[in-house]
Amino acid sequence: MTHRELLPRRAFLIDAARVAAAGWLTLEVQLLAACARDTSSRDTGFAHLTIAEGRTLRAFAAQILPSDDGTPGAEEAGVVSFIDRAFGMPFFADSVTVIRSGLADLDARANVLGGRRDFASASSADQIAIMRAIETTPFFVTVRTLVVIGMFADPSYGGNRDHVGWSLLGSEHRPSFTAPFGWYDTHLAPGASTGTA
Amino acid sequence: MVRYASGSRCVDGDRVTTPQQGQRTYAERDAVDFVIVGSGAAGGVLAKELATVGFNVVVMEQGPWRQPSEFTHDELAIEQRHDWLNIATEPYQTFRTTEADAPRRNTGLNLRYMRGVGGSTVHFAANYWRFRPSDFKERSIFGSIPGAGLADWPITYEELEPYYTKVDWEIGVSGAPGPFDPPRSRPYPMPPLPIKSSGVLLERAANRLGLHAQPAPFAINSELRDGRSACMACGRCANYGCEFGAKSSTLVTVIPKAIATGKCEVRTDCTVFRVDTDKNGRATGVVYWDGEGRERRQKARATILAANGAETTRLLLVSTSPQFPHGLANSSGNVGRYLMFNCYESTFGRFEHPVNEYKGAVAGRIILDFYEHDAKRGFYGGGGIDARFPYNPIGFALSILPKDIPSWGSDYKRALRDYYTHTVRFTGHLTSVPQRANSITLDSEHKDSRGRPSLCLTYEDHADDRTTQHWFQAKTRALMEAAGANKIWDQPIAPSDGSVQLLGTARMGNDPRDSVVDRYHRAHDVPNLFVCDGSSLVTSGRGNPTMTIQALAFRAAEHIAQFARSHAI
Repeated sequence: MTHRELLPRRAFLIDAARVAAAGWLTLEVQLLAACARDTSSRDTGFAHLTIAEGRTLRAFAAQILPSDDGTPGAEEAGVVSFIDRAFGMPFFADSVTVIRSGLADLDARANVLGGRRDFASASSADQIAIMRAIETTPFFVTVRTLVVIGMFADPSYGGNRDHVGWSLLGSEHRPSFTAPFGWYDTHLAPGASTGTA
Repeated sequence: MVRYASGSRCVDGDRVTTPQQGQRTYAERDAVDFVIVGSGAAGGVLAKELATVGFNVVVMEQGPWRQPSEFTHDELAIEQRHDWLNIATEPYQTFRTTEADAPRRNTGLNLRYMRGVGGSTVHFAANYWRFRPSDFKERSIFGSIPGAGLADWPITYEELEPYYTKVDWEIGVSGAPGPFDPPRSRPYPMPPLPIKSSGVLLERAANRLGLHAQPAPFAINSELRDGRSACMACGRCANYGCEFGAKSSTLVTVIPKAIATGKCEVRTDCTVFRVDTDKNGRATGVVYWDGEGRERRQKARATILAANGAETTRLLLVSTSPQFPHGLANSSGNVGRYLMFNCYESTFGRFEHPVNEYKGAVAGRIILDFYEHDAKRGFYGGGGIDARFPYNPIGFALSILPKDIPSWGSDYKRALRDYYTHTVRFTGHLTSVPQRANSITLDSEHKDSRGRPSLCLTYEDHADDRTTQHWFQAKTRALMEAAGANKIWDQPIAPSDGSVQLLGTARMGNDPRDSVVDRYHRAHDVPNLFVCDGSSLVTSGRGNPTMTIQALAFRAAEHIAQFARSHAI
């Protein structure tokens, strides 16, 4: 760990933009390298985000993974708490600036578009329109990535509370399984080898 | 009562011991018989084989000694942060497409491998395909390829077969015979792992298209064997360590046996940065940084490099001397060259019913009908196809959905629910053409955190590699259609800019003018230096090279031991 060379923000954002363009590479989230594994800050306010930033980020995250169709989204998973904790890493300082200015920009756009106080006060339709206009920016790509990670990472990082992310996917949270695993091996194996299916 | 739990962890009443506790240790000034750099696929095998017949062995490992009981399913740490990989510690590598280009920071996949006892066998998916007889003589069969260095191996499949069988039985491989298998002298020691839904679907598609599916061979226990658990189907083979010890990594197979001989020390957190030579051109041992960063030496009568295709290259190139101005064992100029990655391609499909690919070992069935190259296709290349799904929630949600689905919002979330448990991936594991220009060199400008030159990758896929990928993608798409997928999408084929398979950079051969080591893995230029790892491979096979790397290591160990006994080193 002492020899860890941390990716500068610029390199991270280039990587993030590349993921947005190529889509198929797993993003190297080196910026999360020192992410603390504690749950002490849960529901006690933010350690790093301002209340206004947290409010905007919460609205943004809720549009990436909405709480709809009767299933939990980013809100229930505690994604904003996850990102707040990511802000606490020393090497994340540069990226914090980009995300902070991006959040402020969201609020400004909400003001221009609908005369709202901030992004969180805008109508859902306006929020979506604002996000569509910026969805190829490094800010958007970076925060969208963090929202997804916060939704599906191990709950010890502060998001994916009560495994709601994994449950959303239909993934059973168990340390081991036994065959059969899915519908086809339950119903069609081993007779499948005769081509009867 | 002594019993084994969690792989190599030995539980004796309340006392928990680990293999490294009580291991034999050697003083630096003592010249041991062998110092082996690397404790991975090849290093672990060499250590066990040489220590078992009585030689004193020190294995140098740059990473830590993790126990299976420490392994978790933490996707953020393992797959996003890459905690275990070289790129977490030394992320700076450079890349260029051709030697005429200026190297720039590699923001792509990079040269990647695992640091730690057991090396990449700890986190690999453990697919154990044998090469076929044709793999060793493709130059003779296929002829020359413009712009490429296709060559026959100095050994044949028949010479290597007994060692493939040794891997089956001593490492622990599960599987079942198939119609295209090369000859084998002994059956698999264990039956195959249970079939998965994806295997059923691949088999159904194969039957409809007149092809043949067979169980995939794995270095994973399908039953209790050798004091280790059977696979518990947790679904985290690829990229993760097996907390049950069911995956036959060298960490839980040969390394504990090497330690148990009382002849072998595995020295962890030690980074070898130079092989020393004397005025007679013989290797005298290695120089390394220990865990505290102190420079230390280990003298040895013979040195074996098994540090993977990238680090073995680095060590040879940096170990210059007046006698070896271009690097050790590099009179051919081919150290670091003929790098091969193994091309691949993938097609995804969504099915009506749940497949739950996140459960069970990473693959179920394979199709080897297109393994051999075929002159009628008009290009060099072949491959095997399997149903393999190494995606977990974060990785899947970030990058696997079809491109016509939005990447955020209600439709995105709905698609995640609809697709994660219903998606199957068919993948072609393919050849790479060996080309001299594709190489690992030392970057002249950029340094890593220890002040060493960064690794520079020069790589451009051969035109036949690209053709092979597209040809196979048409096959995996046809299979996905035949399997009955209700939605099909391709993984875009992109130029290679890194890999976990680092092959060919110290190739074997009979002619010292165009190869680095001889048929016994002895460096042509240095009589007591041996190189045995992925770098030894002359051609790429069809992905999944570890089975062959370990067969080579078992064979090399036998010959090296004979040389040592007859004072021929």
